Amino acid sequence: MLRFIIRRLLITIPTILVVITITWGLIKLAPGNFYSGEKRLPAAIEKNIREKYGLDKPWYQQYAKTMANIVLGFDFGTSLRFEGQSVNTIIWRSLPVSAAVGILAYLLALVVGITVGSIAALKQNSRWDYSSMALAMLGISVPNFVLGPILVLVFSLSLYWLPPSRWGGFPSKNLILPVLTLSALYMAYIARLTRAGMLEVLRSDYIRTARAKGLSEKDVLIKHGLRGGLMPVVSYTGPALAFLLTGTVVVERIFALPGLGNYFIQASLNRDEPLIIGIVAFISITLLFMNMLVDIAYAYLDPRVRYH
Amino acid sequence: MSRINWKQLGAFVLLASMACSSLSCTVASSNELYWGKTDPPQRNIFRYVTGEEPESLDPVVSNGQPEARIYMALYDGLVEYDPKTTAPIPALATHWRQNGDSSEFMFYLRRNGRWSNGDPIDANDFLYSFRRAVSPKVASRNAYMAYYIKYAQPYNEGKVFVRDPSNGKFLLAKDFDENLPAEPVSGSPIDPGKSEYQPTAEESQPPADTAFHASLHTPLRLTIPGDEKARVKLLNSNAKLKAAIAGKELVPIKGEDIGIEMLDNYTLRVSLTLPAPFFVSMLAHQAFRIVPRKAVEQYGEQWTQPAHIVTCGPFKLKTWRPYDTLVVERDPMYWDAANVKLDEIHFYPMSDNPTIMNLYKVGEVDAVLNHTVPNAWLPVVRTKKDYMDAAEAAIEYININTTRPPMNDVRVRKAFNMAIDKEAWATWRRIVKPLTAFTPSGIFPGYPQPKGDAFNPEEARKLLGEAGYPVVQNKDGSYSCPKFPANKMEYIYNTQESTKNMAEWMQAQWRQNLGITITLRNMDWKTFLTTRAKNDYTGFARGSWGMDYLDPFTFLSLFYTGGENGTGWEDPKYVALVDEANRSLDPAKRYEILAQAEAYMLQYQPVIPIHTASANWVKKPYVKGMYPNPASLFAWKFVYIERDPAKWDSGTPSLAD
Repeated sequence: MLRFIIRRLLITIPTILVVITITWGLIKLAPGNFYSGEKRLPAAIEKNIREKYGLDKPWYQQYAKTMANIVLGFDFGTSLRFEGQSVNTIIWRSLPVSAAVGILAYLLALVVGITVGSIAALKQNSRWDYSSMALAMLGISVPNFVLGPILVLVFSLSLYWLPPSRWGGFPSKNLILPVLTLSALYMAYIARLTRAGMLEVLRSDYIRTARAKGLSEKDVLIKHGLRGGLMPVVSYTGPALAFLLTGTVVVERIFALPGLGNYFIQASLNRDEPLIIGIVAFISITLLFMNMLVDIAYAYLDPRVRYH
Repeated sequence: MSRINWKQLGAFVLLASMACSSLSCTVASSNELYWGKTDPPQRNIFRYVTGEEPESLDPVVSNGQPEARIYMALYDGLVEYDPKTTAPIPALATHWRQNGDSSEFMFYLRRNGRWSNGDPIDANDFLYSFRRAVSPKVASRNAYMAYYIKYAQPYNEGKVFVRDPSNGKFLLAKDFDENLPAEPVSGSPIDPGKSEYQPTAEESQPPADTAFHASLHTPLRLTIPGDEKARVKLLNSNAKLKAAIAGKELVPIKGEDIGIEMLDNYTLRVSLTLPAPFFVSMLAHQAFRIVPRKAVEQYGEQWTQPAHIVTCGPFKLKTWRPYDTLVVERDPMYWDAANVKLDEIHFYPMSDNPTIMNLYKVGEVDAVLNHTVPNAWLPVVRTKKDYMDAAEAAIEYININTTRPPMNDVRVRKAFNMAIDKEAWATWRRIVKPLTAFTPSGIFPGYPQPKGDAFNPEEARKLLGEAGYPVVQNKDGSYSCPKFPANKMEYIYNTQESTKNMAEWMQAQWRQNLGITITLRNMDWKTFLTTRAKNDYTGFARGSWGMDYLDPFTFLSLFYTGGENGTGWEDPKYVALVDEANRSLDPAKRYEILAQAEAYMLQYQPVIPIHTASANWVKKPYVKGMYPNPASLFAWKFVYIERDPAKWDSGTPSLAD
């Protein structure tokens, strides 16, 4: 198991460097600069800015400097748009916001999704099954940029119960609407995954064996049924959690949350090279790490994976 | 109950509840006087959405309006924007005087100015801040605002003077450029028998003269690039210059060389390269607000961080959580602290208009930035008493690339302008005013704004015919213009709801009136800016322009500085007219000549003016002292919360009172 983890980590490093290189190249190819605006700057001022930030140097020097700083010091430099703010500071400041909303949303999605999915599987073809799966279909189909404003319209603008946007710290009432909006899709997806997984497992031989042994129905379902039935949910959790942790552009925008996703979209629109590279690197690291965790969890849950 | 019925019932309940809640929302809001809640905040604080997250708290860094509003809370300058008109009012300068042709200014500072750490403010702070603003090392995007100050532009451009080592004299610009305008008073020898300034009652004796002042009162020195490569290139193209420079020494221009001088601790003299009657109105801009020398030199770029920052405005920084809240609190050190009415201002950096409007409706913010009410919301929000309906010193227009056929033909450009019914556009857009000129309508009192060509589709079709693209009428009454190379042309704009609406509208007008269909192409903001700046389009590009200072020249200067205006149009006669206007001593005469220049430019139609923008924002009725002024910039010390509903604003507060 340890060798497996080390091998995975070793593959991760070059992968991330390749991702950074591609991102760097794409930014360089994109037209426009962080300082360009409606009012065009005189050429001399543009030149001063380019010299100040080292953008007048040949591309290979700029690339070498960027990579050296990242590899040697894990230093992504200072944001071009936000003067004096280092990329690392920005990431560590905005990550907790994204993580709080993301993790809460995923926990909610897990609890509701697994419960609903299991009930639907146990009472297959009942009205429970049909109605919950219909709702789940709705959850998957309605995009969050529609769901968010509807929730705001009902609970903030009409009933005045909850704040319509902004970060209010943790925990606060401000979290409720973004968490609900964000979790809907995952809730629905997990419910469907659980149902499908459970249906397959409940028909398998080892469940029949467990029942034949005389285990209580509760033990059959929780110890044996769920453990097998949740395999698809586990493999889904890795990438899902990575995306949720690193911020969700749309929800953070609708609810004006100072999270990583908000920074990411703004950094791209602003051509803020160091910040884009920093966030892309961070997201790739999280994604690769989560996938590794999933593989480990898989090995734990399914003995067949472990023995191979 | 059967299964199917149960499902149908569920779906019905869901839909019905959604419909009811949205219905109740619309009904409730359409009957109310104001848009949403009107409970004043509990404490004496003002909550405001100012737009994008500020780039920096250093006033010379950002040239954006969201930041300008924050800088106005934190920093003071010689003058401040009047809350109603945005004309300059005294701030750290109590009064000022100008010489005969507005090429030199004297500023008299107040003696009780203090930084937030208690240090006194004097002329040294202005000397340091103005030099820093144009320093090439600082690379401020606002540096161009200070280019009027003598030698500030060549300093910012990293240029050098040329000195003859044999006699110590500098080479002069006029010897190498015949087109140079005549020297203003500030560049002419001082006449000892005549006072430069109109004497006032307060100053009994004229200020003592200095060697530096005398050195400025000499003809403009020659400046050439300090950068080796650029210099060699220039000299190779100009044999006369090359010969003259051989054997001379190159003297780098320093901050100390620019035309700003401290006469004593509280008197400042600024000399300009050319007459600029509008100079004082520029000085409220963030480029000219002062920064604390000690903090800047000690902490470098980090000086704006909350732990280090020192400010001089009516408010000082309390907390800053990026993309969340920036809180400023009343600064007891501020010279006019007794008249600052708010305890705190909370600036929320947000840019999604519906999100901002939602926050306003539930009463979590007291006012929002300009251009915030979405077009689709206007029919409801515009009827409310808290909607700010006023013209802004900003225009929307269409650039034409005049360097590529067929748009290099002025008749074609005129035809496309005349084929747009701007009145109809303004009616549809509801809040803007149609525009045929290039300066906004109704902003500059006394300016005889010229009129461009009016909507005239007949004439437009005739002009196109004359240019070799006859427009023919089809049997169904529509038009077509088969010879026109419409397939090679496009209308480019940045991706945004309002710009898209405008593009589609213009496309429809041209199709209807000329029978020409122009392809629309949207781009992300930065791509669009680059494409337009390089003139890398054939046809049309959206444009907009807002004021930097309260003078028509802030618009007309766009075509003054050469072909970098997105259209490729430049004309020495236009430049000469503008120069003549700015040298004029009589303000009325100056406006008259500026208007002639504008009319001259419109005649060549490098742009199609569309409309004068509208302020288009909302503020709660209890917010007083805040007016929809032409620049949407607010001097915060005048703003207060009125708790007596009888004194609340009902409708847009008048700028006239």
